Amino acid sequence: MLYFAGIDIGSLCTKSLILNEDDAIIGTSIKRSGAAYRGAGEDALNAALKDANLKSEDLNYIISTGYGRSRIPIADEQITEITCHARGSSFIFPEARAVIDIGGQDSKVIEINSKGRVLKFVMNDKCAAGTGRFLEVMAGSLDIDLEQMSELAKQSKKEVQISSMCTVFAESEVISLFAGGTEKAEIASGIYRAIARRVTGLASHIVSGKKVTMTGGVAKSKGMVWALSKKLKTELLVADDPQIIGALGAALIAKTKFNNL
Amino acid sequence: MKQRALNQCMKVSGDPYGYLKEWKGNNNKKIISCFAMNIPEEIIHAAGLLPVIAWRSNESVSIGHSHVASFNCGLTRSFIDDVLKEKLNFLDGVVINRMCLQAQGIPFILEQNTKWANIIYMSLPALYGSDCIRDFFKSELDRLIIAMEKCSGNKITTGKIVNSIEIYNHNRKLLSDIYEIRRKNIGIISAREMLSIVHSSMIMPKEENNKLLLEVIEELNLKVAEGNHKSGIPVVIYGSLCQTPHPELLDLIENTGMVVVDDDIFIGSRYFVNSLDISDDPIESMANRYLSHIPPCPTKGDYKSNWSTYISDIMNKNKAKAVITLMIRYCPPHMCAYPDDQINFEKKGIPEIMLEVEHEIISLEQVRTRLQSFVETIGGI
Ligand SMILES: Nc1ncnc2c1ncn2[C@@H]1O[C@H](COP(=O)(O)OP(=O)(O)OP(=O)(O)O)[C@@H](O)[C@H]1O
Ligand code: SF4
Ligand SMILES: [Mg+2]
Repeated sequence: MLYFAGIDIGSLCTKSLILNEDDAIIGTSIKRSGAAYRGAGEDALNAALKDANLKSEDLNYIISTGYGRSRIPIADEQITEITCHARGSSFIFPEARAVIDIGGQDSKVIEINSKGRVLKFVMNDKCAAGTGRFLEVMAGSLDIDLEQMSELAKQSKKEVQISSMCTVFAESEVISLFAGGTEKAEIASGIYRAIARRVTGLASHIVSGKKVTMTGGVAKSKGMVWALSKKLKTELLVADDPQIIGALGAALIAKTKFNNL
Repeated sequence: MKQRALNQCMKVSGDPYGYLKEWKGNNNKKIISCFAMNIPEEIIHAAGLLPVIAWRSNESVSIGHSHVASFNCGLTRSFIDDVLKEKLNFLDGVVINRMCLQAQGIPFILEQNTKWANIIYMSLPALYGSDCIRDFFKSELDRLIIAMEKCSGNKITTGKIVNSIEIYNHNRKLLSDIYEIRRKNIGIISAREMLSIVHSSMIMPKEENNKLLLEVIEELNLKVAEGNHKSGIPVVIYGSLCQTPHPELLDLIENTGMVVVDDDIFIGSRYFVNSLDISDDPIESMANRYLSHIPPCPTKGDYKSNWSTYISDIMNKNKAKAVITLMIRYCPPHMCAYPDDQINFEKKGIPEIMLEVEHEIISLEQVRTRLQSFVETIGGI
């Protein structure tokens, strides 16, 4: 049996996935990236190998992706996360023609063809506004965790506006709403809607009229998926574990590369 | 490999202040800064003055913030910041073309914050067409002639202007020869090096620069013989009006699998692409150059020519596979022109990516991801 690995060293989390030659996912892992990308990549790979009951010698080809992609000496090659999210998404949802990846630090919107190849992409790489990091800071200022925030948002009865999309200003806006007596649930839903507005601005010209999948850790947040679907006026396709899609794409590309050697 | 001349270009481009201060000390001549595109430098040269093109320094803007809004382009912010930090005291004046809203504000800030006796504000027409526009352009040149005569104490004769045009034309010819060498020998010179070559011409006296460029050509010809040049997907870069792009950005383009084969940026081919006719009426020659539609310029209300068509012609000439738009952050003329160009590239099936050029150092890792993805897209991964 041949085995292929993808390692996605994101700015916040490192994901690894092992694929066998029959395209079955046999091991995965997700860890925090921390400051040392190299260590995080190796840790995540070892954890995925353990999950798959394999040793590193069993691997036939490894592709690294994500921000730390060039810091992984064990990888045979590095490919950007844009290409990897495209490929991984198309594998899970062949009908998808657009991908919205919201990770810890930035958001990307990718147009893909039926083979999962990238046709076009846009990236919000200017600041952490509207990304996972932003959600974490907001949850922190409400003193709840991300899961609770998703649950709370559903109970919101009123729409409050969070106008600032700068992490720093939005945090003080949230604190003053809170101090003014606004319910946590309303604030939580306001935060999701604010991010959805921002992502829609980036995404609308690419996603319009297409089947769209959402990937990245933020797609785990039901509140976010709900707010974004509503704003884009389309049902979003979300994989069982959307955070692992980049690593899946990397492993799929590893297989193609190996077969072309 | 011998590259004394190329190193000298890099040195001048890397420290224009140092070079010009030393030059002034040795030559005791006045230096006039040109802000930025399309200033008829030959007239300043004919007066026996040294025209230099204004540049963006490598320093973050600090005191400049209190005079120029942060949504101005990097060149205007950095130029004013340098003025206020007294880094430009060696200049004797400035000629500013009223080419965009941001440049328009500069003369007033300078009047209040410098002791320069010569702040010449030119209104070069942003329209083409009728005779009255040509007449207006020429009357602006007459005004510049009078101002430069006053500044230098020298009479500017027709003969002197023709002589200056010849020297400038020679410089344009040498620069385009260097571009031709790159076209025939892709990868022989990096985009960073090419930038510094053109930049050196914008700073040094043309007579000295001409000698230096001849030496650069000799060095490149030797290198051609040595072979072994960088390869990659051939791309054309365009945009970057007035302002120097970060050399690191150019390196990144060439380190992610692409190689720049030609350009249409100001500190690039836009500076030298048109020579002037040598005639008894040099002012008419200057009008012809200024009022020519090449290269298309978004600071001129040019509805006839199409920038993206001009770029795709450059691509065809170089067999380039993709185009990279360098957009100066907060440059209204380019920002207004870009959406149409982008649509046109897409219609023609030309892969295009836009990179914003900021003054303060940008986060290069994210740009690297975008560029690498772009290459993967073109390469069909
Ligand atoms: N259940 C959840 N609900 C909401 N957010 C979540 C959940 N699980 C993870 N996240 C968020 O996902 C983010 C990490 O996602 P991901 O691993 O895709 O990012 P990354 O790849 O490290 O970042 P980038 O792609 O920007 O470099 C974190 O900010 C985290 O807050
Ligand atoms: S770069 Fe653009 S905004 Fe700045 S001076 Fe030039 S034309 Fe004006
Ligand atoms: Mg990611």
